[in-house]
Amino acid sequence: MPRILPLFTKALTDSWRSTLAWALGLTGACMLYLPIYPSIGGSSQMQELINALPPQMTKALNYDQIATGPGYTQATLFGLIGFLLMSMASVGWGAAAVGGDEESGLLELTLAHSVTRVQVVLERALAIVVRVAALSILVFVLVLGLNGPAQLNIDVGHLAGAVLLFAALALLSATAALFVGALTGRKVFGVAAGAAVAVLGYVFNAVGRQSPKVEWLLNLSPYHWAYGNSPVVNGADWGVAAGLLGISAALIVLAAVAMQRRDVGV
Amino acid sequence: MTQAIVVEGLRKKFGRREVLHGLDFAVEAGTVFGVIGPNGAGKTTTMRCLLDIIRPSAGTISVLGQDPRRAGTGLRRRIGYLPGELQLENRTTGRRMLDHFAAISGPVEPRYINELADRLNLDLDRQTRKLSKGNKQKLGLLQAFMHRPELLVLDEPTSGLDPLVQQQFHAMVREAVDAGATVFLSSHVLSEVQQAADAVAILRDGDIVTVSTVEALRTAAVRQLKFNAIGTRTDDVGALLARVPGVANVAVRELPADGHAARTVEATASLSGPVQALVQELARLNLTDLVLEEPDLEEAVLTLYAGSDVAESDNTGISDGAAANRSVGAGRNLKEGAHHA
Repeated sequence: MPRILPLFTKALTDSWRSTLAWALGLTGACMLYLPIYPSIGGSSQMQELINALPPQMTKALNYDQIATGPGYTQATLFGLIGFLLMSMASVGWGAAAVGGDEESGLLELTLAHSVTRVQVVLERALAIVVRVAALSILVFVLVLGLNGPAQLNIDVGHLAGAVLLFAALALLSATAALFVGALTGRKVFGVAAGAAVAVLGYVFNAVGRQSPKVEWLLNLSPYHWAYGNSPVVNGADWGVAAGLLGISAALIVLAAVAMQRRDVGV
Repeated sequence: MTQAIVVEGLRKKFGRREVLHGLDFAVEAGTVFGVIGPNGAGKTTTMRCLLDIIRPSAGTISVLGQDPRRAGTGLRRRIGYLPGELQLENRTTGRRMLDHFAAISGPVEPRYINELADRLNLDLDRQTRKLSKGNKQKLGLLQAFMHRPELLVLDEPTSGLDPLVQQQFHAMVREAVDAGATVFLSSHVLSEVQQAADAVAILRDGDIVTVSTVEALRTAAVRQLKFNAIGTRTDDVGALLARVPGVANVAVRELPADGHAARTVEATASLSGPVQALVQELARLNLTDLVLEEPDLEEAVLTLYAGSDVAESDNTGISDGAAANRSVGAGRNLKEGAHHA
């Protein structure tokens, strides 16, 4: 009996455990950080503490903006803990999708069946997109739910835009991991590529904000492209969102092309 | 007769290392074709090329009349493949795994899955990570057979299977062939192939040493001969054996008289080729005991391996050279026949 998108549905059902685990992690992060905003970000004592910190440090951590609810959410959740969890999840999925599968010897048997390599890459990429979207929607719902109780005063439209950038940034890491995994057939190279996008993006942003001399680093940081104008505070730059998603789409296509031309499992 | 697989000039390089040096062979539709050779000879690489998992560096391949590189999914639906290094997912059951492969393969009757699982004595509802190597192999076989493919490509199919299950496997192969399928299988042990295969290719270091039928191997093979005779002399027995073509390594001695009513001559020798001439000569003797062993095909193959070495290095130092040459000749004939058919 022919089923619709068999590899896609399998990828989703196979990963429900990890998806659930990351969902719990993100829920925990929202629940821990956001409700304490009134006693941290909004308190004058905290503001004095932050003022006492070296300005380089507050800039690196984006803590220069945590005096407001949206700035606090941007800096702590989207900019730090949520970004970290989401990047780890998506890099893992991206690297495992093709490179990890090939390395473990499973891909050979899949490809011996009635599927094309392009189909394998595309269906598994789609499964990653769906998982990232699901986690992002979860974050959107959680922040929205805590918006009132935690006195965050976030504009719903700005939140939606920030969540879209949050998802697009994760997808960029995921598709970089997918592409390098498909190119090399090795999971570890995929992980390295995906992690490089996330970590270097973060580091370039943190360093680039320190002084005008190294500002050019910001141009190399996807993290800065997405979060440079604090989307939770100011609303998303839709062009950036489209650009990030476009690069991800291109990486997926490249992964399919790389896969198409290669010997598998050697 | 049509050919299910035709391979011409197949070469494969990994980087600078060439692992297949221009293979030529053809597999007739509806037959079982076995490839034997030591590990690393190129059996797995050849099979992966047939499935388009690996792309040849040179040469042409035709599988069921199509180029696997271009044929796409329709062709692979008609093939059942068992990888040599079978890896299965851990967190699933056999049934769920087979369901998935059924979804990305030809139509599968659920009843047939159960039937095969019963025959192989395999529990489909156990977690795959808890299965023994043999049981994993059974799952691999099941996914290759379950959509009743026209061509089965099986890399070391009996590895890890106990003898009873191996018999069951050979029966499945026979049934598939009776139903019109072609089977291409590999092994590093000849005894496995000789049970199942109609034709055998011997692969070594990326070259086909010979293509032959199991029958041809059998006639080329060396049998051990041992008999006791009374009322004769050692010299006479020696002379008699010398007249028989294919007899070598003759050793004749007189047994000590104690315990024997008459003077007994014991002879041992090896025989290659047909037995008729030997039987005629032996009929002249008054035999008290005769043992003519089943030919050891394993030995025959080793002879062929050695034979090709010798051919490359001046044809010396081999006692069974005649046997080797004859068999190589037979192989060539068969190959020619296949190409012109």
